Amino acid sequence: MLSFILRRLVSVAVTFFVVSVVIFVMMHSIPGGPFDAGDMPLPPAVRERMMAQYGLDQPLYVQYLRYMAGVLRFDFGVPFQSPGETVVSLLASAWVPSLVLGGLGVLIGAPLGILLGMAAALRRNSWVDYLASAVATLGLTVPVFVTSMLLILVFAVWLGWLPSSGWGEPRRWILPIAAYATIPMATYARYTRSAMLDTLNRPFVTVLRAKGLSERRIVFGHVLRNSALPMVTVFLPMFIGTATGSIFVEAMFRIPGLGSYFVSSIRTRDYPTEMALMLMLTVMFCLAYLISDILYAWLNPRIRTGGRRE
Amino acid sequence: MIAWGPASRGPGPAAGPAPAPAALLEIEDLEVSFPQAEGIVRAVRGASLRVPAGGSLGLVGESGSGKSVTCMAALRLLREPPARLRARRLDLDGMAVLEADRRTLARMRGGVAAMVFQDPMTAFDPVFTIGYQIVETIRAHRRASRREAREEAEALLRRVEIRRPDAVADLYPHQLSGGMLQRAMIAMALSCRPRLLIADEPTTALDVTVQAQILHLIKALQDEFGMALVMVTHDLGVVAETCEHVTVMYGGRVMETAPVAQIFDDPRHPYTRALLASVPGRVPGRRRLTEIPGASPDPLDPPSGCPFHPRCALADARCAREMPTMTATGREARAACWRLP
Repeated sequence: MLSFILRRLVSVAVTFFVVSVVIFVMMHSIPGGPFDAGDMPLPPAVRERMMAQYGLDQPLYVQYLRYMAGVLRFDFGVPFQSPGETVVSLLASAWVPSLVLGGLGVLIGAPLGILLGMAAALRRNSWVDYLASAVATLGLTVPVFVTSMLLILVFAVWLGWLPSSGWGEPRRWILPIAAYATIPMATYARYTRSAMLDTLNRPFVTVLRAKGLSERRIVFGHVLRNSALPMVTVFLPMFIGTATGSIFVEAMFRIPGLGSYFVSSIRTRDYPTEMALMLMLTVMFCLAYLISDILYAWLNPRIRTGGRRE
Repeated sequence: MIAWGPASRGPGPAAGPAPAPAALLEIEDLEVSFPQAEGIVRAVRGASLRVPAGGSLGLVGESGSGKSVTCMAALRLLREPPARLRARRLDLDGMAVLEADRRTLARMRGGVAAMVFQDPMTAFDPVFTIGYQIVETIRAHRRASRREAREEAEALLRRVEIRRPDAVADLYPHQLSGGMLQRAMIAMALSCRPRLLIADEPTTALDVTVQAQILHLIKALQDEFGMALVMVTHDLGVVAETCEHVTVMYGGRVMETAPVAQIFDDPRHPYTRALLASVPGRVPGRRRLTEIPGASPDPLDPPSGCPFHPRCALADARCAREMPTMTATGREARAACWRLP
């Protein structure tokens, strides 16, 4: 198990390196630079001095090596769009609303989705199943900005119960979190349903019935545990994906989260900020997959015990 | 005396209304169907069988004959819906299985009748140890502490000739061979002292070398525990070794039922005869095996009359029209055929 984790950590490092090179090259291959804004052109001398100050006059590989040397010391540079602070402090403050939005969205949506999927699988082909499937399909097919708009229209405009946008006090969190939670809910409802149905159709479930176990014991003691196996692998990566915030939900509700920086950093050629965002995402996704793999192995005796047959 | 076959139509002594002793498993006119998009699959079409306490019945037929479905129906293990069950009588240990509620069913399953399945590799939950799964079965049926149940489980594993039962109990299903798993499966089935053991092709998925061991084990345990046995199989050799009585099914119906000696020495039904002729070494002096021409009936669109008539050399117009009634062919023996010799 330890060698498995070590091997995976090495592969995380390799992934990190490859992603960093690709992102760095791609960003710098976008025409234009951070200091040639169209509406307020800088005099060439000033522009050159700025470029030199940020090391942008150096060859690309030098820039890359310098930046990565900083990254290893957890120094992600200075954001061009806000030179008064560091990238780390900028993202740290922007991350909070995204984490709350995404985290609560998943923590509320996923359990709801799991319950929905369980109900659908256990009452297969009944109205419960059809309702759950309809909800799941809607959740996956209706874009989240439409859901957001509908929520704003109903609860903010018509009923006037909740504010339509902004962040801050928890009252303002409700609508965006609700809009956001539909995604993990729908995803999990579908996953759970198919995983449960898969398990319910396996021969050992008939054996459990033939042993005289109660239906409840079969579902909660055996079927859920077996269905959880494929489900853990999606949970953490999805959690990370959402913790970075949804660009759309944040835009619809004007939430000062990370989402906007993904776009604005590319538009303004803010290389350090974009790099930092992408690298953090990479590390988090890699770690999430690593942890899910460990969890999967721990839940699955076939992997845990090395698959030996006597 | 062990009484086989429905009491009402048995050829028993004419004198007096002596009622046959209540059978442990009594099935009369069982119908099992599965509605599907293309039509209704009629898996069992009026099958009857009877297993007295302590007796052993071989339920023989090719795949699709309805033998497994009949057994599953006896314990209500088919999912309903989609399965639809109907029977004039379906009694297990004097209880009407079709009317039983969930709790009664759960108590009967494993407690009164236990089942051993075809493929031991898929019969255990892969994420729990063998010991856990046997302990769980014991504790579902009677009050026992974890320790008592665990000791009992190890004793059972020892009884089914597993060496080092304490170590094996801590292993997961994937760590055991098919033969070992089938032994453990049998131990689990016996854990609540059932009065009936239904073995649904228990050796089909195993290596030939292991098959005989498992059969002998089942037979020995049947005697030791005083259980009745239903051995579902397509292998007449298995029946010859383990059963006193045989019921032959075809196309969801019972074709013939008779003591095992009569089935082998004097089979009456043309299907039984054809079945025997297709088994190597059963017909002395004949070297070539005879195959039965044609294919098994389509369960969506079964033939009219006798299901075997399209493949039967003796069939006439009546066979295609009417399902034959059961006719006595000897002591506790009956066959459903219009052309009985």
